[in-house]
Amino acid sequence: MSTIFVTGIGIYSPLGADLKSNHLALKKGICAISPLELIPSFYAKKMPVGEIKEETPSLKEKLRITQNNLTRTTLLALKAFDDAVHDAHLTNNVLASKSTAFINASTVGGMCLTDELYKDANAKKEGSDYLNSYDLGSVALYIQERYRLQGIINTINTACSASANAIMYGARLIQHGFAERAIVGGVDSLAKFTINGFNSLQILSDELCRPFDANRKGLNLGEGAAFLVLEKEKNIKSKKAYAQLSGYCNANDAFHPSSISENAEGPFLAMQGALHKAGLQAQDISFVNTHGTATLNNDETESMALLRLFTKKIPLFASTKSNIGHTLGAAGAIEAVYSILNIIKQEAYPSLHFTQPISKTGLSPLTEYKKISVNHVLSNSFGFGGNCSSLLFSKI
Amino acid sequence: MGCYIHQNNCVSPQGNSESIDLNKLHLSENNTLKAIEPDWLPKEIPLAMYRRMGKASRLACGAALPLLKQQHFNGVLVGTGYGGLEDCVKFLSQIIEYNEGRLTPTHFVQSTSNAIASQLAFFSGNKGHNCTHTHRGLAFENALLEALMLLKENEEHNYLLGGVDEISTYQHNIDFLTGWHKEELVSNAHLFSTSSKGSLAGEGAAFFTVNNQKEKALAYVKGVYTFHSACADDLSSFLKETLQKQLHEVDILLSGACGDNRFAAFYQIIENILPAHTVIIRYKHLCGEYATSSSFALWLACYILQTQKIPTGMIKKGEPKQAYKNILIHNTFRGKQHSFIWLQTPNLTTL
Repeated sequence: MSTIFVTGIGIYSPLGADLKSNHLALKKGICAISPLELIPSFYAKKMPVGEIKEETPSLKEKLRITQNNLTRTTLLALKAFDDAVHDAHLTNNVLASKSTAFINASTVGGMCLTDELYKDANAKKEGSDYLNSYDLGSVALYIQERYRLQGIINTINTACSASANAIMYGARLIQHGFAERAIVGGVDSLAKFTINGFNSLQILSDELCRPFDANRKGLNLGEGAAFLVLEKEKNIKSKKAYAQLSGYCNANDAFHPSSISENAEGPFLAMQGALHKAGLQAQDISFVNTHGTATLNNDETESMALLRLFTKKIPLFASTKSNIGHTLGAAGAIEAVYSILNIIKQEAYPSLHFTQPISKTGLSPLTEYKKISVNHVLSNSFGFGGNCSSLLFSKI
Repeated sequence: MGCYIHQNNCVSPQGNSESIDLNKLHLSENNTLKAIEPDWLPKEIPLAMYRRMGKASRLACGAALPLLKQQHFNGVLVGTGYGGLEDCVKFLSQIIEYNEGRLTPTHFVQSTSNAIASQLAFFSGNKGHNCTHTHRGLAFENALLEALMLLKENEEHNYLLGGVDEISTYQHNIDFLTGWHKEELVSNAHLFSTSSKGSLAGEGAAFFTVNNQKEKALAYVKGVYTFHSACADDLSSFLKETLQKQLHEVDILLSGACGDNRFAAFYQIIENILPAHTVIIRYKHLCGEYATSSSFALWLACYILQTQKIPTGMIKKGEPKQAYKNILIHNTFRGKQHSFIWLQTPNLTTL
């Protein structure tokens, strides 16, 4: 099997529009969660969300887009995709070659246009410009057309673990010779649809989310996009590489549509499988970027999984959901980027708003910035439907 | 890289695997071909859960549950272009009607496309790899490709692989407004003699047990190839580059022609590349057009290899042969997403 390196990164999150600003904000422990502003909704000015404070028309203008049928989700993806490709120095010819794969992930897709979709679904005569833009595939299909991509292209939706699976799928395409390189990641934008959906499940917090805190009240939603360029070690020659994608695993909890089982079988199997794939032991892990949504169910079960896997010595861990909220289909990719920052900067970023550990598990996340030696970072993403995935990144 | 198919099952507008008679055509109604759901399904699933399930979930369970009873699986791979959209718009309607008030989460939970694969994992207690591919017209092909890669990594594994899509009222409306359905009333019996734009709306689910065991296999998937382009010439170059040297072996081309005059060129150009002895057959009058119809085509191709007979009404060109060993499935979805799946009799392979 080939060794797979990350050679390019593009990220657009509530913490910033590029890698550098995201890094600085993590280091300073900035929380970019604030009351919803840009979506006309009953929850506007009330509900705390991790929102990219750039209105869609101005985003369009910055990206020099003149078409009328692109959704906010596609625009966020395009920005992060372009940045990742430039960062890895992929020329347009390389981009359009049959050996370049592109794997996107999303759970919302064009449904961010909640009201438009409702109108089109019920329209009798003419539809809006967005008729072809609501589905999950529309984002990758636009980028395919724009850059005339010829390699394997896919869109994955495994709910909140979607982009971790996109990263895995791209890595496999390289491992099995279906691609020489893969641009992998995910995107989601805030939508009335998901705000009301998570609210109906009563897992949204009306305060800033507090991952792993005994008094946590639920999650905050967020939005963003991130893409990584994956390449084979032997192909990259003198080009820079950030980290190695050394392990990954997808497992299912097979328990409940929207919660994880008490002994956290799915999360445990995903983490264990990633270690196994990398040929590493639990004690080799320097840091865990947890799923840590701050829902009652997730943080307790994820803690159980950590206790099962690491038994006595739990590595340092934190949840960047406390900085930007839960970006759903983008979370796996955004947190992959944050895990890579842990490695290249040899530092760990604090989990915010934590005061008191959950009494059953007693685990406390890292709450202050720390210079540490980082060799291997495990990044967790767990989703509805028991879809659990873990990625393992290693220092080169 | 390939895999063997051991069991398969479908729920289609022509019936499911137990009831299907492909020599008798079930006719379309109002330009739609709706899947005939198996009547045993409500007895197999706890009632409260059955009532909550979206249609795509029901179709998938109808096709997959019989397979889950026969075999232990190491993972579940599902392709669905638009699965869950019915529940999605139902939830949207609640949002609008109740002005974002207190809503019930049932439709929201069912609206995410991975609800189908996760339900199958839940029913079988399957804690293995579980993935949902949603890349519109190539969703099933990507799930199949993932199966091939996982089987290469895990020689002894069995995977449950399937494709499913539903006709939902709302997606149907959006597709109609976009021009994907025929405006004039057309029967599926005459789908291929039309020369207008649009096709008939279809739906269905087809599931397969795939592994590396040649013994007792129904068929062997020799490869899956996907491509994006809006230009027919590009597609013909792609096929030539990918499979040129083996095209003389193709006994049957199972063409995804859908009666939409805008995409006829894609199908014609592929027919023209294949040798004169290849029998050209079509399937969309049986199932209608939907994003994962290639999974039904794969089910049909297995059926033809097993029975060594081509059902009535499928042949476009060519004479029936003594033996069929290689079937190439070609599908083009909405003029931009293209795929080829090569299926052959299992005894041809040396693995």
